[in-house]
Amino acid sequence: MKRLFAFLAVFYCLGIILVSSAWVNFWVIFYLGVVVFTAACLSFTNNHIFIVLVFFLALILGAFNLKNSYMQHKRHIRNFVSHNDGLVYNLSGFVDSQPVVENKRTIFIFRTQEVQLNDLKWLCCGKVLVKLDFPQDLSYAQRLTLTGVLSRPFGFSSGFRSYRDYLSGQGIYLLMHIKSRTQITTQPGETGSKLIIFSLWLRAKLEQTIRRYLSDLPAAILSAMVLGQKQSIPWLVNNHMVKSGTVHILVVSGFNVGIVAFIFNLLLKIMRIWPKARIILTIICLFVYCLTTGASNPVVRATVMGTVFLSARILKREADIYNCLACAALFILAARPGQLFDIGFQLSFASVLAIACLYPRIKSFLRLENLKAKAIRFICEGCLVSFCAWIGTMGIIAYNFRIVSPITVLANIFIVPLAALITLCGFSLVLCGSFCPFLGKIISITTAMLITLLLNINAAVIKIPGAYFYL
Amino acid sequence: MFNFTREEKKVILFLVLISFCGITLNNLAKMNYRIKKLFCPQVRLARIDLNKVSLEELISSRCLPVKTARSIIEYRLENGDFSSLEALKEVKGIGDKRYEKLREVFFVE
Repeated sequence: MKRLFAFLAVFYCLGIILVSSAWVNFWVIFYLGVVVFTAACLSFTNNHIFIVLVFFLALILGAFNLKNSYMQHKRHIRNFVSHNDGLVYNLSGFVDSQPVVENKRTIFIFRTQEVQLNDLKWLCCGKVLVKLDFPQDLSYAQRLTLTGVLSRPFGFSSGFRSYRDYLSGQGIYLLMHIKSRTQITTQPGETGSKLIIFSLWLRAKLEQTIRRYLSDLPAAILSAMVLGQKQSIPWLVNNHMVKSGTVHILVVSGFNVGIVAFIFNLLLKIMRIWPKARIILTIICLFVYCLTTGASNPVVRATVMGTVFLSARILKREADIYNCLACAALFILAARPGQLFDIGFQLSFASVLAIACLYPRIKSFLRLENLKAKAIRFICEGCLVSFCAWIGTMGIIAYNFRIVSPITVLANIFIVPLAALITLCGFSLVLCGSFCPFLGKIISITTAMLITLLLNINAAVIKIPGAYFYL
Repeated sequence: MFNFTREEKKVILFLVLISFCGITLNNLAKMNYRIKKLFCPQVRLARIDLNKVSLEELISSRCLPVKTARSIIEYRLENGDFSSLEALKEVKGIGDKRYEKLREVFFVE
């Protein structure tokens, strides 16, 4: 079977969907799994029955993993607060994300290790979303003791998923609102992953380089496109891009991962590194880049796909796009099965799947390869890719964001090549600017010009009548 | 003497092209100040002009409730143009918290 991984991923996802929509006991799934596993072992010699049972096992595994992810550790912080009890807790632990300062407020994820209520202390685990009413200089892995009231997130929603569901997808079930600096005590020492500390340090350095050469608005856009940092993007720019259906360019995606792989592969090639070692080093660089950009679903997808593609070269085997995509999906869903219901996950996979599936078929149907003028063929192919991605994601966007943007196809024809150029310039700026300030300054002017052009085109296309409409 | 691969040649050409483009723009901007607009995005691309925005634009932007959007326009009609963003606090329905958010959305020329 050529696309084994693709089938396994489909059955695994089906298992997750089935168990999320129907109540099934954890142990029922466990015993079912044991029975099917035994049957698969017994039918080892019969290939057809074995394959059917393996698919069924994948389905059970998906269901089993989702059920397991719903269960919390006995000492999970969630179990200490059954309702909004209004009691003041002392939490000890460390900062588990890069703190974000927005509108004079600081927001970060706090990983708890110990909880204290009055004179009673317990060991605990789990994450809490902390909101400070003031800007505070904090960093990842910093040890803190927080004093405050723990509350559960609100269940309000505009679509089918509420804010509570969104946070629970990230493993957060409680919030802590801190109004005064006296409620925070810094503790000595650091915990957390050294690799993440390095990635965050690298991200801060790269962001500094971008801000050194560009003014606020172009720097914010380039940080989003190259480093996945969207916090500084002005609300209006984001809103315009949502309306034109081009907001995907502000997300680090497969294209960025491809550029990183290309740059490192090239640098290692210049250093005359042995080909297999070069591929392994490139894969390591991809993982570091993935962590640097925040390891969001599209980056993880692209990193895993890139890794599979590169590994196929080491193993001298042909990489299949569907198998690569399935590997990436299984990689993400094995760690966090609830991500199947995440909009970012759905959009990322739906767009790539639509391009992989529809693009070659429509291209051969329209006989684009017969076009002799290279420029026209390039434009037509670009339109077709954008059209396929739009078809693939339109349903999800309309359902979740209540917006349909027919202008997307036209907007993407201009904006996607421009965004690709900006990304290339951004990487050149980051690399050259760190070593050669003069070159950095020159490249930054071209980058700023391209970003200005992109913003102007985007602002113009949404003014076209019927460009977008809300449902 | 040098034996560049196809990829290396592409990278060199790309870097030369963007450097050439950057130097040209820098030079043109020195001669004519208006050229700077080409690589300095105008503020209206990132924020809404509080004194020029119409009610329809304000409602369609979905940055605040319809009632508050009407209050802003009414305030402008009664008191004339906003002299600063701080004046937004005087509009009915805009408290400190909403003002902090709207500060990022609007600008006053």
